[in-house]
Amino acid sequence: MTLLTARPTTVLRSPDDSTATAPPEHRGLARDQVRLLVATPTGLTHTRFAALPDHLDSGDLLVVNNSATRAAELDVVTDDGEPVVMHLATELDAGRWVVELRTAPAADKPILDAVPGTGYCGPIGIRITLRQAYPEPGSSPTGCGSRLWLADIDGPADVAAALPAIGRPIAYGYLRDRFPLADYQTVFATTDGSAEMPSAARPFSGGLVARLVAGGVRIAPITLHTGVSSQEAGEAPQPEWRAVPDGTADLVNHTRAVGGRVIAVGTTAARALESAVGRDGAVAGATGWTGHIIEPAHPVQVIDGMITGWHNPDASHLLLVEQVAGAELTQRAYDAAVAARYLWHEFGDSGLLLRR
Amino acid sequence: MPVALITGASAGLGYELADTLADDGWDLVIDARGRPRLDAAAARFAGRATVTALSGDIADPAHRDALVTAIESYGRLDLLVHNASTLGPSPLPTVADLPGDALARVVQVNLIAPAALTAALLPLLAAGSGTVIGISSDAAVEHYPGWGAYGASKAALDHLLGTLGVENPDLHVYAVDPGDMRTEMHQAAFPGEDISDRPEPASVVPALVHLVQEQPPSGRYRAADWQPSGRARAVSA
Repeated sequence: MTLLTARPTTVLRSPDDSTATAPPEHRGLARDQVRLLVATPTGLTHTRFAALPDHLDSGDLLVVNNSATRAAELDVVTDDGEPVVMHLATELDAGRWVVELRTAPAADKPILDAVPGTGYCGPIGIRITLRQAYPEPGSSPTGCGSRLWLADIDGPADVAAALPAIGRPIAYGYLRDRFPLADYQTVFATTDGSAEMPSAARPFSGGLVARLVAGGVRIAPITLHTGVSSQEAGEAPQPEWRAVPDGTADLVNHTRAVGGRVIAVGTTAARALESAVGRDGAVAGATGWTGHIIEPAHPVQVIDGMITGWHNPDASHLLLVEQVAGAELTQRAYDAAVAARYLWHEFGDSGLLLRR
Repeated sequence: MPVALITGASAGLGYELADTLADDGWDLVIDARGRPRLDAAAARFAGRATVTALSGDIADPAHRDALVTAIESYGRLDLLVHNASTLGPSPLPTVADLPGDALARVVQVNLIAPAALTAALLPLLAAGSGTVIGISSDAAVEHYPGWGAYGASKAALDHLLGTLGVENPDLHVYAVDPGDMRTEMHQAAFPGEDISDRPEPASVVPALVHLVQEQPPSGRYRAADWQPSGRARAVSA
């Protein structure tokens, strides 16, 4: 387990009373009507996400993650009949997965005391066998047990293909209800593979995308399949699979050459882009696993801003935002979002942080 | 949504007017020199209105450019309120003791900055037959010891806005004397004195809202003359 040595400087008040407990559509709002805080070196704007085109210029480039969310949460039972909730975080190879064990029925807590060889029965006759703690035995930051495991999943069908029928979206306890998988997809979601929704792009609607394009804002995709987000304190992000198409790399380099801004929609897009920067400072097409972490020792090289939801004070997320926007602007934006009671978490409100 | 630019909106009359306009469906661009209080004010208006908060000194041309850029992103300007102003040194010096740089600063903030900002925003204001309000003072008309710099700057602003109104008959241009108010600026004018008998700045907001809604002829008005049952009368300076 990689531990982060750097710490974010941004200080947050706990936003427990400002949680988005349901998707905006279930709160009477269109998806692009969530609130948007625009933070730039000159000031702050509180508005709606649908007003995003007012805050971007022709020639700016938005980089979006086109990964679609899987129904990655399964009910399984141990051979002793104990119910367990299993999160299928990442498929490493055919039949070989990284899984997370959580308590039944609501996945409230991680299960840390499993041992190699433990077997579980799941729906449609699939069988899951834990092989070793992931990424390596004894690597939990707590030094005690592991919540992530390498596991073999055998069954009558391709498990990933069967997930829409047998699984449900990974959900956390602050949601007021279970919501269907469709609520966990962004308008850009075309490539199946994320254990949790790449949520920064969720407020985009088709109409908003059309208005952005009509205004000269460019949009280019990357693919990064998210794992499970339930990082422990100080834990660095796991390696993740990503693809940066050549066309996206070209657009990033062109945008920078002509003075436009490159804006990452979400930490996944930021990580994918920055992991594809070569020694010459240009982005090149890249496909495969990346362990790249954006932190003070690895500052951003090509990103001028980002669109992000408001999340719990997770160290790696904040470190990334601080590297993009600067610590002072990040603190100002988070203070304003807390003061104005922006809604937190994946169905909540949004922020656009621009360093120029 | 109509759009208003209010300078000096983190406290006092500017804050109270912004608060009322946010409730009335206006989008806001606000400024103030102090960033934490401005951000806090914006957070209280947010959710009711789209609000842009830009901290800076209105006498700084770069800050005024940022305000103009923000307004241009909204694409319209319906109301411009020149509320930010400075009293100059406190306690208030007599004319004989008034430092030249202090007078220059008062004129920069209270006259030259609003003139420049108005000029830069005139095309957008004209496009929508907008309203311009300069917050004046009875010190622009009367003569009080110590109030020379401030009063002269406000008299000049009144005159400038009066001329603007004549030059732009489609605009609604007002200089408004709000009367004494229980504000930090008023306290600075009377350091150590109890000013709690002065009315709250919120009491002046209805007069400003009526001006915006009813659009009487351009001119100089006193908020105190605005009775709920009647109309304010323009007073000559």
